[in-house]
Amino acid sequence: MTKSLKMPILKMTARNVSVAYGSKIAINNVSIDVDQDEVVAFIGPSGCGKSTFLRTLNRMNDTVASARVTGEIKLDGQDIYSPDMDVVQLRARVGMVFQKPNPFPKSIYENVAYGPRIHGLAGAKADLDRIVEKSLRRAGLWDEVKDRLSDSGTALSGGQQQRLCIARAIAVDPEVILMDEPCSALDPIATAKIEELIHELRGRYAMVIVTHNMQQAARVSQKTAFFHLGSLVEYGNTSDIFTNPREERTKDYITGRYG
Amino acid sequence: MSDTLVPQIPTTNAEPVRRVPTDWTTQAMQSRIRRRYASERRFRFAGLAAVWLSAAFLAYLLITMVMQGASGFVETRVSLPVDLAAAKLPIEPARLVGRGADLALAGAGLEGTVLAAASAKYGKDGANLLSDGAWAVVRDAIKADPSLLQRKAVFEVPVSSPIDVAAKGNGTPDAEAVVARLKASGALSRGFNAGFLTSADSTDATRVGIWGAFKGSLLTMVVTLLLAFPIGVLSALYLEEYAPKNRWTDLIEVSINNLAAVPSIIFGLLGLAVFLGTFGMPRSAPIVGGLTLALMTMPVIVIAGRNAIKSVPPSIRDAALGIGASPVQVVFHHVLPLALPGILTGTIIGMARALGETAPLLMIGMRAFIAAPPSGLKDPATVLPVQIFLWSDQVSRGFVEKTSAAIIVLLVFLLAMNGVAIYLRNRFETRW
Ligand SMILES: Nc1ncnc2c1ncn2[C@@H]1O[C@H](COP(=O)(O)OP(=O)(O)O)[C@@H](O)[C@H]1O
Ligand SMILES: [Mg+2]
Repeated sequence: MTKSLKMPILKMTARNVSVAYGSKIAINNVSIDVDQDEVVAFIGPSGCGKSTFLRTLNRMNDTVASARVTGEIKLDGQDIYSPDMDVVQLRARVGMVFQKPNPFPKSIYENVAYGPRIHGLAGAKADLDRIVEKSLRRAGLWDEVKDRLSDSGTALSGGQQQRLCIARAIAVDPEVILMDEPCSALDPIATAKIEELIHELRGRYAMVIVTHNMQQAARVSQKTAFFHLGSLVEYGNTSDIFTNPREERTKDYITGRYG
Repeated sequence: MSDTLVPQIPTTNAEPVRRVPTDWTTQAMQSRIRRRYASERRFRFAGLAAVWLSAAFLAYLLITMVMQGASGFVETRVSLPVDLAAAKLPIEPARLVGRGADLALAGAGLEGTVLAAASAKYGKDGANLLSDGAWAVVRDAIKADPSLLQRKAVFEVPVSSPIDVAAKGNGTPDAEAVVARLKASGALSRGFNAGFLTSADSTDATRVGIWGAFKGSLLTMVVTLLLAFPIGVLSALYLEEYAPKNRWTDLIEVSINNLAAVPSIIFGLLGLAVFLGTFGMPRSAPIVGGLTLALMTMPVIVIAGRNAIKSVPPSIRDAALGIGASPVQVVFHHVLPLALPGILTGTIIGMARALGETAPLLMIGMRAFIAAPPSGLKDPATVLPVQIFLWSDQVSRGFVEKTSAAIIVLLVFLLAMNGVAIYLRNRFETRW
């Protein structure tokens, strides 16, 4: 990436992070920075630990009893694994979109309104309506669903469901959005819409996206991290990684030699 | 930019390999296909036969019960002229209103008057024609219309049990003869036995009612539900959502599964020892029955609840956690509503079993003869299945049809309970 005059604002930093499931080490000593204005892509073969690492960033690994995280992860300079970090609040600040679209089996409106409601972000019904509309607009879904907000979220198409999930994440006004292969269950047109959306959201939210699709990583991200067997092999500007990788393993993976 | 590094699929110019297609017309293939069709047909026939067989059993049960029990809802009446004016009962009209009326009329010797009227009309055995409750019909008529005391009137009063049985075609030769005579004179009639639905147990088959046992069952079930449902659901939620998976939770799981399989009479012994023995609670009371049945029902609800909770997709939990729902919010906003239909199904199975249970209730004394419906949780009471058991044990023939009638009431209770559960389940069912 070209040297910009503006200093990048560090949103999240990970230092020497390792994750083990029981005795099996899934992530080994990974350090990464995520800038406020950037989209970071995680690439690497299946099982290399991309999801595991992503889930350490909002402590979703807490739900796995056997998972142990060591190292240091900071959000705005605050250690998210410190005892005085409120996990619930952390997850509101660092939202997540999952591989398989998982809307609640409730109305479209309720899907988006749920987060603001439990966090007390909206006082009156009108506030809530406004948040729902704004979030759906940002997720590029408003025009498609504005006349059927009371329909079930699960009745939408796969791509619409995934955008609904993005709207749901946006509705609680997060600072970072983590996406774990958000397009892997979608067709090319729906995928293109999500990619477009990521472009539009850049700057407003720091974003980390796990993807299997090399072109996608190249299209949407500014930085790319290549993981292999639990280690971070290479992390740098996307343009550099895809044209001129430093590591042989990165090059092999990008050219389809394995993975 | 990545185009430089992404490889192309190699193309070849080699001749494609020709293949020999499978021959589906050979003898072996054809007979395989025939066998497949035959086995499909066999399976479908076996399944259908099984369904028909169980439907036939059910229909047979219901039909015999209704045939035998329907007459339990009908009473035979004999018309009885009573000259109340001539009897000159010593009673002040002022006492005929309000609560004291029954006592006043009984004290004035109304029963004797009615029996005397029967002897006058039907000979010296006339009094034996009447049910013990016959005079109460006259009493209620007077209460409704005090002017009856000033004239002669004809009342339709219930007949005694042997006559009733004979009138329904099942009596002793003597009674049949009496019935034939009465029928010829046009004195007999039939009517709906409202008393069966409003009174409690009695020694006279024509006076028994199911209301006492029904109310006892209702109170017992309420106690069972109020205890077993919340405790069962909370246990299931805790074990599934919070408890760490270790040896202790395994042990608890095995114990609960075993508890669900323990014979019900053991729970009765437990209830006897703990609730009556240790805590000194009243015998025969719905509260004790409910507590005992709750012990029995709880494991069923826990097991069904855990299965229902397990079947809630983990992706829903992730979704809620991912936007910052607390574990309790995840459980109560998402997991529980989605698991509720399954939990309700389990609950209804457990409650149906509890409703039909006799053995444990015998142990805690609910087999006593109780002639008044319970008015509270601590009053002596009996329940429908125990009442059925007690009546089926009676030698008097009049109780046979009452037993079947009580079974019909029990089945209706059960169907109503199931109906409510199915309604609730459909209401909470989530359409994906
Ligand atoms: N809940 C878990 N328990 C145990 N091992 C796990 C769990 N989740 C992932 N793993 C293991 O951790 C490694 C990394 O998995 P994951 O992060 O899902 O990889 P990726 O997302 O890159 O495909 C894999 O070997 C996987 O088997
Ligand atoms: Mg993954």
